[in-house]
Amino acid sequence: MKSLRFALPFVLLALSTAALAQSDAQKSFDAMKALAGTWQGHATLDPPNPQMGGDSDTRVSMRVTSRGNAIVHEMGELDPAQDPTKHDHPVTMLYLDEGRLLLTHYCDAGNRPRMAGKLSADGKTIDFDFLDVAGNTQYGHMQHARFTIVDDNHHVEEWTFLMPGDKLMRGRIDLQRIK
Amino acid sequence: MDRDWNDSQPIYRQIRDRVVAMILDGVLKEGDALPSVRNVAVEYRVNPLTVLKAYQGLVDEQFVESRRGLGMFVKAGAKNLLLRGEREKFLEQEWPRISETIERLGLKPEELLNGSSRRSPAKSSKTTKEER
Repeated sequence: MKSLRFALPFVLLALSTAALAQSDAQKSFDAMKALAGTWQGHATLDPPNPQMGGDSDTRVSMRVTSRGNAIVHEMGELDPAQDPTKHDHPVTMLYLDEGRLLLTHYCDAGNRPRMAGKLSADGKTIDFDFLDVAGNTQYGHMQHARFTIVDDNHHVEEWTFLMPGDKLMRGRIDLQRIK
Repeated sequence: MDRDWNDSQPIYRQIRDRVVAMILDGVLKEGDALPSVRNVAVEYRVNPLTVLKAYQGLVDEQFVESRRGLGMFVKAGAKNLLLRGEREKFLEQEWPRISETIERLGLKPEELLNGSSRRSPAKSSKTTKEER
């Protein structure tokens, strides 16, 4: 009985920590849902390499699906005439899983890395750290993602790719909402 | 560059391979500028991050270099470096299989040389047309 009384505060602490973590994940998920729409912006290397002439426009589409249980993030041209089965069109799914916000990136390199999101103290940045990867990693895989919400109509995405030979390459897209 | 992509490799790798082939074939010479990421992304309708990945790979492999304020250029010595790499790859990966076939068929060096001299460019293109 004495030991139970001793353990109770720790159990309560553990439960409240779990609840807090879950609410952070939910907060992150809600923040990501608010990004639903169509976005356009400049893609550059980070740090920038102006010699590559990489200030190039790209589009991102995000939509909430599965009765609010998942977000689909699509990168690339949104031209319906362009067949995504043949062209460059990476898809990322975001969802809650056991109190964590997870992301699965479906890469054209033929693999599917999973990452877990962590909300920053100011609630504006969600960092996705690598958990594991399924599929062929011969040509590298996505290693990290960061979403920074600037305001309702502006957000920044940073995607870090682990190249063969374990060299990291980070791309940054500054996006403006167009829809 | 061809606009069609195959399913065996990611697109960034295929862009890298096409630039490599252009260097080996002399289409891109040492000191020539590479098209900008923007141009490749727009023309081939690929994500600019994909082109950046391909170009970064070429920089890492020492085939191209960036010149401040000017762009990306094929590095001096890139063709030799590529040839060395491609020769090694051929000898390590393809030659053992070819050599095994030659041995199995009992082909002699003179037969191989005659065989290759029979493949004149005119005949090759005719064969290709017929095959189509």
